[in-house]
Amino acid sequence: MLELRLVQGSLLKKVLEAIKDLVNDANFDCSATGFSLQAMDSSHVALVALLLRSEGFEHYRCDRNLSMGMNLGNMSKMLKCAGNDDIITLKADDGSDTVTFMFESPTQDKISDFEMKLMDIDSEHLGIPEAEYHAIVRMPSSEFARICKDLSSIGDTVVISVTKEGVKFSTRGDIGTANIVCRQNNTVDKPEEATIIEMTEPVSLTFALRYMNSFTKATPLSSIVTLSLSSDLPVVVEYKIAEMGYIRFYLAPKIEEDEDETKPQV
Amino acid sequence: MGIKGLTKLLADNAPKAMKEQKFESYFGRKIAIDASMSIYQFLIVVGRSGTEMLTNEAGEVTSHLQGMFTRTIRLLEAGMKPVYVFDGKPPDLKKQELAKRYSKRADASEDLAEAVETGNKEDIEKFSKRTVKVTKQHNEDCKRLLRLMGVPVIEAPSEAEAQCAALCKSGNAYAVASEDMDSLTFGAPRFLRHLMDPSSRKVPVMEFEVAKILEELNLTMDQFIDLCILSGCDYCDSIRGIGGQTALKLIRQHGSIENILENINKERYHIPDDWPYQEARQLFKEPVVHTDEEQLEIKWTAPDEEGLITFLVNENGFNSDRVTKAVEKIKAAKNKSSQGRLESFFKPVANPSGPIKRKESKCILRSPRSAIGHKMFSLQACRPTPKVLGSLSLPIPDLGVKHSTSLCIGVCFGA
Repeated sequence: MLELRLVQGSLLKKVLEAIKDLVNDANFDCSATGFSLQAMDSSHVALVALLLRSEGFEHYRCDRNLSMGMNLGNMSKMLKCAGNDDIITLKADDGSDTVTFMFESPTQDKISDFEMKLMDIDSEHLGIPEAEYHAIVRMPSSEFARICKDLSSIGDTVVISVTKEGVKFSTRGDIGTANIVCRQNNTVDKPEEATIIEMTEPVSLTFALRYMNSFTKATPLSSIVTLSLSSDLPVVVEYKIAEMGYIRFYLAPKIEEDEDETKPQV
Repeated sequence: MGIKGLTKLLADNAPKAMKEQKFESYFGRKIAIDASMSIYQFLIVVGRSGTEMLTNEAGEVTSHLQGMFTRTIRLLEAGMKPVYVFDGKPPDLKKQELAKRYSKRADASEDLAEAVETGNKEDIEKFSKRTVKVTKQHNEDCKRLLRLMGVPVIEAPSEAEAQCAALCKSGNAYAVASEDMDSLTFGAPRFLRHLMDPSSRKVPVMEFEVAKILEELNLTMDQFIDLCILSGCDYCDSIRGIGGQTALKLIRQHGSIENILENINKERYHIPDDWPYQEARQLFKEPVVHTDEEQLEIKWTAPDEEGLITFLVNENGFNSDRVTKAVEKIKAAKNKSSQGRLESFFKPVANPSGPIKRKESKCILRSPRSAIGHKMFSLQACRPTPKVLGSLSLPIPDLGVKHSTSLCIGVCFGA
């Protein structure tokens, strides 16, 4: 038996909008800790990890650890039918092959029930080790989205370099090159407008902009984005979800040709 | 060709060992490709209509070059790193099979001549495909083309599939691509089918993993090889009346061909007098392959643009614009193969959550009526529900959710 009641239903709507283009089908895992998801895109270059902690729900009942396979496109279709102010309740019975989304309008005068078929998804779960990152950049999420969008009109890849002075995003394409530097800046009035860099070592990594742009679909979830970079690890792009969890995107870097040979083959 | 009926046998008995994968998902992977098989396919399919084939000015067939050129570029564009392996000298055991193929081809040539005479177009098409033979010249042409494209070529001492499998085992390649199922018998850890199919066919790549096959079939590699020999391979005849299913049953029961021979009903199954299954097994287990790293020399280099134009445009009548564009594509593709994969950084772990659907059911709510319990919240009321539930559903919208749960249970017990 599973019953999760989320008063701020729009959060779930936004989460789906953020991930549905990256991943087609995924298993949602429910446990006493919370409602979570881990899934890779079809080419195994990017991974999304979502956590909505149980405390964030008004009512959270999950009798045993469960995993529910859903098609995210279909789930998004159903959640689009919920109003932005609606309360969303997720329900599933033990052994059932469907999940029910119930939408209640704030005034309680309209209640909609959508039942969706679940699917069997054979997906690999990756173990993500805790790591100390060489550089952590906190910046306004809208700024980051803008940079990714702008750069992708020039080139396909972005080089993200972090130094003490700031973080530099650069690209190169047929028509020319682009460099955007964001300086460390924590003197602004509003904390969400600050750019803060914590760094132990300078880092420079190359990524495919296509994926970065897809990650920025999570921008409505949080005004701040955190980029964690290490020279030998995938970048983590994290959006906190108000008080209750996070959505993290991991992206494998591009590797220079000659280094390629020394990388472990999997 | 290959192992008779193995695909079906695996689909029936080891479905988990087969996975459909997207073509694009192999970017950055080194793939060992059985070249002779590909060339053969190109000669059959590419640019053919009836007995007419793509030719250059001198009238020599160029279908294989056209095929090799475009398909290889497709692989490169997807970020793959192909390495082509060519057949060497066939093992003695295969000579019988080759002789059979030769005579079939001769038959087909006769049939073709007849079909041409009567003008039956379907027959012409059918028989002319059967007369296709990959010549030494075809192989040499393709090798030259690939080297010009900067794609590595390996000449196997004997069977190309065996060399491919060896490359894959030693970690020099991620997977073997062929249409010939005996790559699995040679022990290629990962085997791909349909990788070289034209994009227009939209067939997904079928990936086989040997480890999973053995696990699913519950066999050792030696037993799997025996199974393949019994099912029918290129190196020796199979026993009449024993196909894949029977072979699997016998291997599971007796464990090896030797034991089967001891226990089998010789009246019912006639074992060929000269049946070199041991030699065949030897060929699969320890095929003649290069293992010397230096001899292999797998390096992907930049394409030789001038060389390609001389070869394809001047000597073989390809359109010069198309070749120039294709060279650009090869150069651009270099960039794509550098994308890293998450699995290089994170390792798979077991997921702690079980699926919601469990085999056994304990809960009363799981009775079919529980489904109706859900439906009653529905405002669309699209399905006729029993009357009792229908009337109960009206007051629900006024109730809080927590109450509705208990109500739902009540209804199910009541009904």
